[in-house]
Amino acid sequence: MSSLYKIIILIIMVSPVRDYAQGFQVNLQGQKQQGMGGAGTAFMQDASSLFFNPGGASFVHGTQFNLGVTPTFARGAFMDDKTHEVSRTNSPVSTPFAAYGMFELKDSSKLKLGLAVYTPFGSTVQWEDNWTGRFALTRLELRAIFIQPTVSYKLTKNLGIGAGFVYATGKVNLQKDIPLVDANGNYGHAELSGKAHGYGFNVGVYFKPIEKLSIGLTYRSKVNMAVNDGQANFDVPEGVSANFPDGKFKSKLPLPSVLSLGMAYKANSKLDFALDINYVGWKAYDTLSFDYENNTASLIDTKSARMYKNTFAFRGGAQYKVTEHFAARLGLAYGITPVQDGYVTPETPDANRVNYTAGIGYEIGKHLKLDASFLFTHLERSGTNKETNLSGTFKTNVCAPGISIGYKF
Amino acid sequence: MTFQQFSFIVLGLGILTSCKPKFDTPEADGGDIDASNYVALGSSMTAGYANGALYYDVQQNSYAAILAEQLKLVGGGDFKIPNVSPASIGVGNTNNAPSKLGDRTDCLGAVSLGPVKIATQGDASVFSTNVYNQGPFNNMGVPDMKVIDATVSGYTNPFYQRMSSSASSSVLSDAVAKNATFFSVMLGVNDALSFALKGAASESLTPVAGAVGTGFEASINQVIDQLSANGSKGVIANIPSIRSMAYFNTIAWNALKLDATSATNLTSFYSALDGTTFYEGDNGFMIMDSKNPFLGFRQAVAGELILLNVPLDSIKCHKWGSLNPIPDRYSLTLSEIDSIEDAINSYNVILRNIANAKGLAFVDVNGFFAKVKAGYMYNGVAVNAAFVSGGFYSLDGLNLTPRGNALLANEFIKAINTQYGSTIPETNAMKYPAVIFP
Repeated sequence: MSSLYKIIILIIMVSPVRDYAQGFQVNLQGQKQQGMGGAGTAFMQDASSLFFNPGGASFVHGTQFNLGVTPTFARGAFMDDKTHEVSRTNSPVSTPFAAYGMFELKDSSKLKLGLAVYTPFGSTVQWEDNWTGRFALTRLELRAIFIQPTVSYKLTKNLGIGAGFVYATGKVNLQKDIPLVDANGNYGHAELSGKAHGYGFNVGVYFKPIEKLSIGLTYRSKVNMAVNDGQANFDVPEGVSANFPDGKFKSKLPLPSVLSLGMAYKANSKLDFALDINYVGWKAYDTLSFDYENNTASLIDTKSARMYKNTFAFRGGAQYKVTEHFAARLGLAYGITPVQDGYVTPETPDANRVNYTAGIGYEIGKHLKLDASFLFTHLERSGTNKETNLSGTFKTNVCAPGISIGYKF
Repeated sequence: MTFQQFSFIVLGLGILTSCKPKFDTPEADGGDIDASNYVALGSSMTAGYANGALYYDVQQNSYAAILAEQLKLVGGGDFKIPNVSPASIGVGNTNNAPSKLGDRTDCLGAVSLGPVKIATQGDASVFSTNVYNQGPFNNMGVPDMKVIDATVSGYTNPFYQRMSSSASSSVLSDAVAKNATFFSVMLGVNDALSFALKGAASESLTPVAGAVGTGFEASINQVIDQLSANGSKGVIANIPSIRSMAYFNTIAWNALKLDATSATNLTSFYSALDGTTFYEGDNGFMIMDSKNPFLGFRQAVAGELILLNVPLDSIKCHKWGSLNPIPDRYSLTLSEIDSIEDAINSYNVILRNIANAKGLAFVDVNGFFAKVKAGYMYNGVAVNAAFVSGGFYSLDGLNLTPRGNALLANEFIKAINTQYGSTIPETNAMKYPAVIFP
C-alpha cells in the first residue's frame, strides 16, 4: 500500500501543477472504463457499476470496494485575434475521485446494496494575472460531490434493474476583475462564493440476452445545484465602495441529465468490446444568473445567456487480457460540445473533442486489483462571445492519468 | 509483469502531462507603409490633452502615442513628443490645472464624486518654456488648433509656441520638416467644436470655402498635399458629431426636476410671460434664446443640449433653468445644433474625398464615436459615452481617457490595415486605464 501511495504522490509532483479542466462535466469515473473511452453502461466489471449502470450492479459478483483518483492536468490558453496576445491558465490540479462500495446480502445473491461517492462535475480554471479576459473571468472553481446510495436487483438471470438516490453537495467560487482603477493602477475585483446542494437519481436496466452480449440503459437525472446563501465580496477603489456593497447572493447551476445506451460484446475469453452513446441534457443550462441581496446602481442582478444545447457523446473501447492477471485497454470517445457559437466563455471554452484513452489492469492475488488509466484530449474553439465580445481562439490540452485500487471479498 | 513494471508505466503516463497548447502567432507586417518615421498632426486628442489639461501622463497616452507603439511592431521608429516635464501638473487652455475625480460639496451641502481641479491654477511655465530643442517632434498635436490654423506662420496658440521651431514657423511647416514616411491627420474638430463649446453664442464655424487659412477645404488640401508631397502614405480621420460627446450629453435638456408645488408656482409665474406649463417630475430647462422674439427665453425642447460647464450650483440653488433662464453660452438650440452638424457633415465629405483622391487610409471617427454613444462591450467591459462611468471620455467630457485613446488607436490600425494590406496588431485597450477613482 505504501508503494501505491508513493506512486500517487509522485504523479502529482512530477506533473506540472497547472490545470485547466474544460467544461464542467468530468467523465472520469472508474479506471477500467476510462481506459476504454469511458464506456461502461453495458460492461459490468466491478463496483463502479453503481455509477455506470445500477441495473447491472447485481451481476457483479460478491462484495467489492473500489477507490480511484484521476488527477487532471489541463493547460489552457487564449489568443486574442485582434492583438495576438496569448494568455494562459495556471490552474491548480483538480482531482476527481470515485469511491464505490457494493455489498452482497448473505441471504440473497440477487440483491445488491451499494454506496457510490464521486465527482461527476467540477473544475478549477485560473487565468493568469491581467489576462485579456480578466473582466469576464479570472477564476472559476466548481466542485460537486455526488453521494449515491443504490439498490440493484437481479430480476432474472438475464435482466437486472437498479436505482440510486443522489444527494449532491458542492461549492462554487467565481472571480473576476472590475474595470475601475485607482491612482496606483489597482483594478477592482469581485469574488462570489458559496455552497450549493441538490438532489437527483440514477436508474438503470441491464439485459444480457446471451453470454456474449449485454445491453444497458441508464438515466442519470438533472441535479439543480442551488446557491442560496452565497457571499459576494467586492474590492474596489474606496471612492466607489458604496456602490459595491459586500453581501449575499443567490444563484443556481443545473447539472444536466445523462441518458446512456450501452452495448458490450465478448469476442472471446480474452477480448471484450464496449460501446456507449450518451445523450446529455445540457439544454437545462440556458442562463447563469446572479441575484444580489444589496442592489445598487452599479451592482444590478445579472442574467447571462448560456444557451447550451442537448448533445451526444460516443464512447468505445476494448479490453484485452494479455495474461490471466494483466489486462490492457484502449478507447476513444467523441463528444459534441453543448456550447453554441457566440457563447464560448473563458469559464468553459468547450469544443467538440476526441478523447484518446488507454489503461492497464493488474491483479495481485485473488482479492486485490490495481488499475491505471490515461486520457488525453485537445480542445480548440474560435469565435466572438456575444455578451463580452471577447474574440479569439481558446486551446486546451487535457491529460488525466488515473489510478484505482479494488478489493473483492 | 511485475508490480514494478506496472509502476513504471503509470509514472510514464504521468510525465506525458506537460502539454502546453501552442499558437502560430500571425506575423505583424507593415504592408505598403514605411512606419519608420511617423508624424501625427492634429489637435487636442492628438496631443493627448485630457482632463482639461496637457501634462506628461496624458501625453504618453494619446491615440497617436499608442498608435506609434503598435507601429513599432512593423518597423516604426522613435516617436518624439513635446513633453511637459513629468514633475509639472500641466496646464489647460484657460491656464487651469487638470481635473481629477474627487469629492465635491454642492451648495446644498451634498457630497458626491465629480471632477475637481487639482490646483487653483495650471503650471504657467509650460507655456513659457519652449521645448523645441527636444524636437523635431513626431507628435504635432496642438490643442485647440483648427484646420485653418495649421498653415498660419507664427501661430499664437501657446500650446504651439511651446514647441515651435521658430517664431515664424507654422504647425504644418514644422510637421513637413520632420520628413514623415507615414502620417496621420485628425484635424477639423475645433473648426466646429470651438463654436459649439461657446454655446454658439460667440466665435463662428469655419466656412468650407475660402483661401488657405480661411476656408476648410483649401486649408486641409494644403495640409495633405504637403504631408504627402514626397509620396508618404498616411491616414486621415473625420470629425465626430457633437451629439456623441459626453460634454453635450451629460446634463439632459429636461433635467429640471420639480415637485407638485414648485411646478404650480412656476406655471403661475410664467403664465403672465409665455404661458409655459410645468409638471411634477422632469421638465425642460428654461434657456435664453436670442432668436425668440420679445422675451429672449423659452423652455428647452427634446434634442437641445445643455453644456457640461453649466454651473450646477446655480441650477440647484439659484433657480437657473427655472425662474432664471440658463444663459445662452451654456446651451445649444436645435437650430444651432443643425448649423454645427451641417458644418461637420460638409467637413466630413471633404475629408472623405481627400482620402479617396490620395489613396489614404480613412478612419470614420464619427461612426466610431456614435458606436460608443450607443454603447458596446469590449473584452467584457462596457464602453459608452456616459461621463466618468463610460470609461471613454476623460473628465473634460471632450477628450478621451487612455482607454478611450487606445480604442481610438485601434480604429486607426483597422483603417491602415484595410487600406495598405498591413497586419498591425491592435492594442489591448484594457491595459490602459479609464477615469481614475479615488
